[in-house]
Amino acid sequence: MRDLAARLADYLGARIGRPAKVSGLDRIPGGASRETYRFVLEDPSAGARKMILRLDPETSLIETHRRIEFAAIRAFMGTEAPVPDALWIEEDVGPLGGAFFVMAEIEGGETSPMKLTQPPFAAHLAETGRQKWTILGAIARRDPQTNGFAALFAPLREDECWRRELDHWERVLDADELEPQPIQRAAIRWMRRNPPPPAQRLSIVHGDYRTGNLLVAPGGRIIGVLDWEMAHLGDPLEDLAWSVNRVWNFARDERAGGMLPKDEAIAIWERASGLAVDRTALRWWELLASLKGQAIWISAAKEFQTGAARDSMMAIAAWMQTNSQDRVTLDLLGRLGPKGA
Amino acid sequence: MRPDVDAYFRELGRTLLEEFMPRLPTAFEQGAAMRYAMLTQAAAEEFNRAAARRVEENGAVRALFVQAIPLVENDGLRERLRSAAATSDRSLLVRDLDDSNGRLRALLIELHAAVEAQTGAAARKLEDTIWAELSASTGRRALSLGRF
Repeated sequence: MRDLAARLADYLGARIGRPAKVSGLDRIPGGASRETYRFVLEDPSAGARKMILRLDPETSLIETHRRIEFAAIRAFMGTEAPVPDALWIEEDVGPLGGAFFVMAEIEGGETSPMKLTQPPFAAHLAETGRQKWTILGAIARRDPQTNGFAALFAPLREDECWRRELDHWERVLDADELEPQPIQRAAIRWMRRNPPPPAQRLSIVHGDYRTGNLLVAPGGRIIGVLDWEMAHLGDPLEDLAWSVNRVWNFARDERAGGMLPKDEAIAIWERASGLAVDRTALRWWELLASLKGQAIWISAAKEFQTGAARDSMMAIAAWMQTNSQDRVTLDLLGRLGPKGA
Repeated sequence: MRPDVDAYFRELGRTLLEEFMPRLPTAFEQGAAMRYAMLTQAAAEEFNRAAARRVEENGAVRALFVQAIPLVENDGLRERLRSAAATSDRSLLVRDLDDSNGRLRALLIELHAAVEAQTGAAARKLEDTIWAELSASTGRRALSLGRF
């Protein structure tokens, strides 16, 4: 850790053009694809600033490109969607042994969904939920050309969004499954037979918009939307569907994301995005969200099983979510019987 | 083995969560300890039922194949269903049962796709039976950890 701090200080000193010191470097939970560290940048001219380092490890739960995450965050700086100030990106693995970027720390918030059900957050949970889907609507509204975000991707038409996502996540399933996945395979066949209509607009899709990726202040206000590592160009219904995926109902009841009834969340999103939700199309995207979730969980299982990453996060993701995710898919297809039947 | 293995795992999980985790200095380390505790509790839950649920499922899928054989129109698939229905598990070791399960469920995917493409009430009824087995399979695998 001391070596990492010294190397980071050397790098940042070169970037700001004067000697800098890094103190308090501490790994924190956060993100499935990068190591995340908190530190203080001591700059003799500008003073001490709290920072976050997102460093690519040798392997990760989700394979993503740090430049896309960096660009997505920058596309929302100063908007209704609160994001940290993204400051520096480095894709050369030389300085720290992996690509990384540095952003300012947003202080005073909580990301653990379970802690949000406890004081002082619990009293504000519904209001936090209303903010959650209002912000997601704002994300859907944002012009994807902002700061050149769209230019990072191959051109995409509104009628191609569904197929691109379905093909991608089916490929992940093909590559990473350690055992057959009859429920997801049946869902894939159903999705191909019943494609959704073209996207109403092309949007920046956060890709992992869930309660655990929000930073919430003790008064219930959302002060940060984090972990843009799966951001891409696509149909905004994709984000809405992921946000109401039942595996995120951490209160284990019907509240989407542990916060609001699903219908209320959707109505808020409609008002904020200016888009009307076609429920049949949303159901398709919810099935896609379930496939995507399952692809991520089984990839985690493979990483752990093969020894590529023996992080407990990989094992817990697989054991906690795989079966629940299949049950979500069955439920969406109207095929879920009572437990044990 | 006495004490029972699942009882040992439960105690290990409790110790990690209640005694070790609070003493760890950073949120990152505490989070890792909590995950290991949850994984240990899940292992306790799975230990006792591990062979039973696999034997039950392999038997259910073979029985489903027997039911499907007269209805399947594709000759090659019908033969493979017949062969698979006649197999048995090599032993009660979990890995042997998983090997059987993997082969049987891979064939179940093929059967499911084939039945979807067939017309008629008998095909729809078989499709419902397949879905019922898939739903039951999630009941067998359910862990307290799961949110749904």
